[in-house]
Amino acid sequence: MAILEVRNLVKSYGEKTILDGVSFELEEGEAKVIMGPSGCGKSTLLRCLNLLIEPSSGEIRFDGEDVTREGVDVRALRSRIGFVFQNFALYRHLSVLDNVTLALRRLKKLPRREAEERALHELDRMEMAEKRDAYPAALSGGQMQRVAIARALAMDPKVLFFDEPTSALDPIMVREVVTLINQLYLENVTILCVTHDLCLARYISDRVVFLDHGRVYAEDLVENLLGREGDPVIDEFFGGEG
Amino acid sequence: MSLEAFPFFADLGAYAPEILKGLRNTILLSVTITLTGLLGGIAVFGLALSPSRIIRFITQSYISLFIGTPLIVFLFLLYYGLPQLGLTLSPFVIAVFGFTLNVSAYNARYLTIAYKGLDQAELESARAQGFSRFQVFRLITAPQSLRMSVPALTNQAIQNLKDSSIVFLIQYIEFFAQMQEVASRTFLFFKTYLFTAFVYLLLVSIIVLAARQLERKVAIPGMG
Amino acid sequence: MSFVDILATLLRGAGYTLLITLACAATALVVGLVIAIARELGGAFLSAALWALVYVLRGVPMLVLLFVVFFGLPGIGLDVPPLVAMMLSLGLISGAYLSEVFRGAFAAVNSNELLAAKAMGFTQFETLRLIKIPQMLRFSVPGMVNELTTILKYSPFAYTVGIPEITKQAMALVATTMRGLEIYAAIGLLYFGIYWLLLSAVRLVEKRYAILGFAEE
Repeated sequence: MAILEVRNLVKSYGEKTILDGVSFELEEGEAKVIMGPSGCGKSTLLRCLNLLIEPSSGEIRFDGEDVTREGVDVRALRSRIGFVFQNFALYRHLSVLDNVTLALRRLKKLPRREAEERALHELDRMEMAEKRDAYPAALSGGQMQRVAIARALAMDPKVLFFDEPTSALDPIMVREVVTLINQLYLENVTILCVTHDLCLARYISDRVVFLDHGRVYAEDLVENLLGREGDPVIDEFFGGEG
Repeated sequence: MSLEAFPFFADLGAYAPEILKGLRNTILLSVTITLTGLLGGIAVFGLALSPSRIIRFITQSYISLFIGTPLIVFLFLLYYGLPQLGLTLSPFVIAVFGFTLNVSAYNARYLTIAYKGLDQAELESARAQGFSRFQVFRLITAPQSLRMSVPALTNQAIQNLKDSSIVFLIQYIEFFAQMQEVASRTFLFFKTYLFTAFVYLLLVSIIVLAARQLERKVAIPGMG
Repeated sequence: MSFVDILATLLRGAGYTLLITLACAATALVVGLVIAIARELGGAFLSAALWALVYVLRGVPMLVLLFVVFFGLPGIGLDVPPLVAMMLSLGLISGAYLSEVFRGAFAAVNSNELLAAKAMGFTQFETLRLIKIPQMLRFSVPGMVNELTTILKYSPFAYTVGIPEITKQAMALVATTMRGLEIYAAIGLLYFGIYWLLLSAVRLVEKRYAILGFAEE
C-alpha cells in the first residue's frame, strides 16, 4: 500500500513555478530517490510533503489521509515523518542523548526512562551509544549524521526523509553514510531521499524520480535511467559518471 | 498660546535662567569629558600595546580597576579626600579629572577589543616596510581601531552625558541639580523630574542621530 | 577608629549593596526576558512599542529615573519603598539593556535547528521554549555578566534614597572621622573585591555549565 501519494503537486512563488504538477507514489518499505539538476525543485518538493512549505495546489495523501485539506493536524503529520537535514541540524545546546529524547519526551510525552531507553536503542543501532553524553560540536560530520538519523528513527516514523545526506560530508564520510543508509534500506525502512549523488542513489533505492524544471521527467530504476542512451536531459545530468 | 495655559511650564519659566545655566554646565562637562576621555583612551590604548611587559601590566591593572569600581566612589575620593592633602579643587576640575580617568579606561578597552579584530598581517607588513612601532600605531593601528570602535565610542559619549547627572553629588551645579532646586521650590516633584528625564532623552537622541551620521561617514568599505 | 573598625562598618553596608545588586539584577533579568520574548513573538505594533520603551529607558540617566520614581511618584499618590525604587529605576534600565543583549542572542540561534524542530512537529511556542530560549541564554552569558557588574557599579546611588549600603556607611564614617582619603580608597577596593568575586563566581558557573565548542560559532 502506498504510504505517500502525490498528485499534481504545484508550488509557485508569484510568477515563478518551482513544482509544476509533480505526481508519484511511495510504497511502504520502498526506498525512493529524487534526483535532478540543481534548481529542479527537489528540496522544495521534500519540504512540501511535510508542509514545511505550503503547496500551491495538488494533493498529498499520507497513509491514506489527504493532508492538504483544511484543518489537518500538521504537527501530527510531521511527527510521523522523520526528517534528516543536509546540515544535520542537531540542537547544539543538547547532548547527543538529549537530542534524541527531546521529541520523545515533549511530543510523545514518554517518561524520561522510557525515552532514554528508546533513544539508546536507536543510538546503538547507529553505533553512537558511546557518544551519548557528547555535544554536537564535538562530533564529526558522519557522527552528526548518525545522531540525526537516530533522532529521526526514535520517533518510529512511517517514512524517513533525507535531504542531500551526503553533500555536507567529505568523501570518506560519504562512504560511511552511504553504507549506513543502505543498511536502513536493507532493513526495509521506508525512505524518500533527495540527492544528486548517483552512488548514493544506487545503493539505497529501488526507483528514482527524476525531476527537471519542476516536473517528473522520468521515473525508473537507476540502471534503466543510466541506460537511456541519447536522452539529452539525463545525459547532461549524469555526465560521464555512469 | 501663552505659557499660562500650562501652569507647569509657567512655573518652569520662572526658573529659566537657572535651568539654562545648568543645561550649559551639563553640556560643557559632557563635551569636555568626552574629548578628554577619547584622548586619554587612545593614550592608554597605546600603552596597552607597549612592548614592555611592566607597562602592559600597569595599564591593564589601571583599566580593570577603573572598570571594576563605581565612578561615584572615585569622585568622592577626590572630593572628600584631596583636601586632606591640602589640595582643594573646584567641583568642575574634580569632575573632569575623575571622569577622564574613568572614561579613558572604558575607551581603551573598546579600542583594545577592536584591535584584536584587526588583520595582524597588515600590521606586520607595515613593520616590515620599515615603519617604526610608533608610526605603525599612529598611521595604521590607531586609525583602524578608532574606526572599528565608533559605535562603542559614541555609546560612551551618550553614557557620559547621562552620567554627568551624578556630579551634583559633588556640588557641581549642572542641569539635574537645578531641576532638583526647581522641584523643591515648586513641590512639583513628579512633573519636574519627568521633564528632566525628557530633556536628557532629547539630548541623547541628538547624539544618537549625530552618531549615525558619523558611523556612515567613517565606515571602511569592505570592513565589518 | 582603626582601619579594621572602618572595614567592619563598611562590610555591614556590603550586605545591602549585594541585596540591591541582586534585586536589581533579578528585575533586569525578568524585564529583559519579557521584552525580548515579546518582541520575538509579538506583531509589528507590539515590537515598535517595546522598541520605544527600550529607547526611552536607555536614554534616561539612572539617577534621574530613580528620582522620578522615589521623589516623583509619591506626588501622584504612589509611595515607593527605597529598594523597590531601585528596582524600578536601575532594574528597569538594565532590563532594557539586557533585552538588547537577548535580541542579539536570539538572532544567533541557528535557523536550521529551528526548521528541524518545526519538521519534528514542535509548535512555535515549544520551539521557543526548548530550543531558542536555552540557546539564546547561553549566547547571552557575557552580556549578562557585563550587565551584572554595571548594576553593582550603579548600586551606590541607593544611598540617595536612604539605603544604608557601602557608600552610605562610608559617608557617615567620613563625617565622623574626616578621613575621606582612606575610607573612599577602602570602599573603592571593597567594590573592586565584590566585582572580582562576582566575575569569578560567574566564571565558575560558566565553566561548570559550559558546552564543549558551543561558543566557537
